[in-house]
Amino acid sequence: MNKIIVVISLLLVSWLQAQENTSTPDSLEVVVIVAAKKSKIETDLKMAVSVDEYLASSDNISFIKRGSYAWEPLLNNMSTERSVVTIDGMHLFGACTDKMDPVTSYVESNNLSEVEVKSGQEGSMHGSTVAGSIDLKRRSTPFGLVKKWKGDYQTGFEFNNNQFFNFGNVAYSSDKLVIDGSISSRKAENYNDGNNKEIKHSQYNKFNTSLGLAYKTGDLSSVRVDAIFDKAKDVGYPALPMDLSLSRALITSLAYKQFFEKGLIKVWDTKLYFNTIEHYMDDTTRPENLVHMDMPGWSTTYGFLSKINLKKDNYSSEIQLNAYDNLSIAEMRMYPQDRSERTMFAYSWPWVTTRYAGLSINNSWDITNKSQLNFGGSLGVNYNYSKYVEFNWIFHPGAPQEKTRYLPNLYANYQFHLNNFNASVGGGFGHRAPSVSEGYGYYIYNSFDRYDYIGDPNLENEISYEANVSVGFTYKNGSIQAKANYFYIQNYIIGRILSAGSPMNYQSVGVKGYTSLDYSTLFNFSLQAKYAILENLHWNGTLTYARGLDDNKNNLPFIRPLSYQTSLHFKHHKFGFLTSLNGDVEQINYSPEYGEDRTPSYTNCNISADYTFQIKNKKTVVQIGAENVFNNYYSTYADWGNIPRMGRNFFTSLKINL
Amino acid sequence: MKKYIFFIATLCLIITSCTLDKTDYEAEINTEVTEYFEFEEALTISSATYKVSIETLNASFFKGYNEIHLKIIDTQTNESVKGLPITFLPILTDANGNKSSCPHLYNLEYNEEEAYYKGYVVFTSESDTTNNWQLYIDLQDEEVNTLNEVITVESQTNMNLNMTAFTGNDDEQYFIALIAPQSPGVSENDLVAGIYKYNQPTTSEGEFPDLSQYSYSKVEGYTLYLDPRMPEPSMGNHSSPNNQDLTQGEDGLYYGVVNYTMTGNWTLNFIFKNENGELIKGTEVSTDFTPGIEGEKSELYIDILF
Ligand SMILES: [Cu+2]
Repeated sequence: MNKIIVVISLLLVSWLQAQENTSTPDSLEVVVIVAAKKSKIETDLKMAVSVDEYLASSDNISFIKRGSYAWEPLLNNMSTERSVVTIDGMHLFGACTDKMDPVTSYVESNNLSEVEVKSGQEGSMHGSTVAGSIDLKRRSTPFGLVKKWKGDYQTGFEFNNNQFFNFGNVAYSSDKLVIDGSISSRKAENYNDGNNKEIKHSQYNKFNTSLGLAYKTGDLSSVRVDAIFDKAKDVGYPALPMDLSLSRALITSLAYKQFFEKGLIKVWDTKLYFNTIEHYMDDTTRPENLVHMDMPGWSTTYGFLSKINLKKDNYSSEIQLNAYDNLSIAEMRMYPQDRSERTMFAYSWPWVTTRYAGLSINNSWDITNKSQLNFGGSLGVNYNYSKYVEFNWIFHPGAPQEKTRYLPNLYANYQFHLNNFNASVGGGFGHRAPSVSEGYGYYIYNSFDRYDYIGDPNLENEISYEANVSVGFTYKNGSIQAKANYFYIQNYIIGRILSAGSPMNYQSVGVKGYTSLDYSTLFNFSLQAKYAILENLHWNGTLTYARGLDDNKNNLPFIRPLSYQTSLHFKHHKFGFLTSLNGDVEQINYSPEYGEDRTPSYTNCNISADYTFQIKNKKTVVQIGAENVFNNYYSTYADWGNIPRMGRNFFTSLKINL
Repeated sequence: MKKYIFFIATLCLIITSCTLDKTDYEAEINTEVTEYFEFEEALTISSATYKVSIETLNASFFKGYNEIHLKIIDTQTNESVKGLPITFLPILTDANGNKSSCPHLYNLEYNEEEAYYKGYVVFTSESDTTNNWQLYIDLQDEEVNTLNEVITVESQTNMNLNMTAFTGNDDEQYFIALIAPQSPGVSENDLVAGIYKYNQPTTSEGEFPDLSQYSYSKVEGYTLYLDPRMPEPSMGNHSSPNNQDLTQGEDGLYYGVVNYTMTGNWTLNFIFKNENGELIKGTEVSTDFTPGIEGEKSELYIDILF
């Protein structure tokens, strides 16, 4: 019993540690943690952020932005097909063929406790990956806290787009029962760019609520039921030819956890889950469109995962079995100009089932107290079934209706620290299966390069070979850390112009088919430095650089140019003050083939100030600040269709701990 | 606790509340098209000795291609009559009393297994107040038994079985009638057509029925080049990949492959060439993608809809 509390409080402490903790947390007793964790869902600049804004503060995540809502996270400069995004290890898949709804859009920052980002093959725990994994961890209050009821309330307003948000959380904790509840709403109108021009169709309206109930079934065991409901309504995507009328997700799970006092096995964690997403696009908001279309999508996933944590002396290990079944459906119905004529119908995802089962293992071995070896891997079986395979046969006659793939993943990483110096070197190898769109997509219009995309069921597995190094140095009040990784990706899947077929979407200029390149390469580098100038004055700086090339040495799309971020944080009594500067240099290595053009450099300046005080003994924080202080007009390399970013934005927020 | 109850209530609402229904694809592709598989009796004609029953799909005659099955019963013995030489001739009489025919199989073939006489007829027009179709059937035992009957040829509501008649550059009269698919899918579809020609009489008409005036034959060894496109303006002359031109199969019909990328209106644009590659009819259509403009059609085409 006490042990559980210890375990759980240790976990809790690990999240509550403010700031990013990049050092090896080898002091942590219980859980093998192989990755850097982001803790506390807020950024240095803002205490009330969206999940996207929060992830954006991570140095290996960048975003494709199609508006101000639901940004698509790119991990190591790779698109979402190449990474595994999960919620507490649970898989879910967006229901939009146009990537309007990445997994991260179905949670809200107030139902998460932390986000675990793993780079490359180290992220293969929950499924096969190339880029890595992002695991969104939900809040879960430990049993038997002294303070039974806890809660917080947060509200705020952002002036640029009249965004108004309200977040509420409650937690109840007794020896037997834990209840976690959260509710949130965000509503924003169109934003204005740096020229004070309104960006039409950039509004959104999101409601999210979650409930978790945990019951202790024995001294060392508990069950937990969790549910998240998320609803986005009337969301504009200014960079796309369509908006969203409604998107809803229900994410549920039932988990059983058993601790063991003695022996090799420490924890056994089993979970059953179910989630369902519906996504209805809407173009009635765009009367300028030549064709009216209905494009609904659905995605339903059932899954199971079971994990044990082992520990003996200086060796610990995590073994997980995970399986899921997903059905993705997307329809398109085009209305002729003469509405009395027959509508035109096709599936853009012809009822594609994906089943995956994999066994994965992560090991951590403290060789000495100065060095550690992390290694592991997974073996997965991936099965696809296309119910209406005749759609796929149009471009790929005779393609199999079913396809089974074997997906091995392996990695190893050696970490070493001596006095002020730390270093790590690692490598990995892994396969991934093509995504539903890459394998079975049918006339999916990409408004960026303006091609209709066709999937190929016969695509080979993408195979990644990866190497990574990091070196760090700490001296007195400062530290500096450099990280680099290199990916050599065989059978790199990307769209290539097809000579056959003609566009279906009227804005389109041609048809591209997902094809495997022989290979492509990707290099990512980041440099991070911190320095405490004074006890209450901290400086932080990050520099990232990436380069991606295909087999003809042409640039890959959506690769971030040299970018920088620097911030100064001052704290005095109850006051906090932060100023930050971030920007990208000019994007020279762009890919015209994929619709990119040269993006000029930009610099963005942000400031914020907060004040902490007590209202009837309740800790309260108010914050005011401004983003893009100089009201610069800019768009970044990853802004879909060069849509300009938000101009100057004043924000305020208030947080009360109840 | 209130929050908890509220949440459960919300959850129940969510789970039970209805959302957009998914499209029933099987129903979707059958909205415009009814598919018929069964041959049913369309007509019976009786003479003194024989009862002739003609079976067609859906018990009707349609404009376009009709496969016909004739069952012949000896009215004396009530037994099915096997292997008689039977001829079949459809005659159209117009308002002025002019008589003409349409592509048909004159000498019916006896099918031992199924115990029927098989043939086909491609009606080139529907029956109406001024045009009427009449069938002339001769059964030859010791003598010739002639039966004839006026029939009703209905319009073909399934556009996938449309037909076209035209005069080629060689001044011959040709007929192209779609036979399959009856109910296409958004997929590769095996496209089957019957192609016929009128054998121009060399002599003037004799006593009715003068067979030399009503002679049609299958066109042998030609090629029908195919370019399917969606005519709808907003589809911008959309086409599909991996189509195959129609060439003649062993049974004399023409076989090709058409891909329909979505449901709706399609135009099958044709170019028809003879065995020497000489153009009989048809024009090349633009392959340009022209959103907002209705797709132009070849001078030889058939419209379909599904
Ligand atoms: Cu969408």
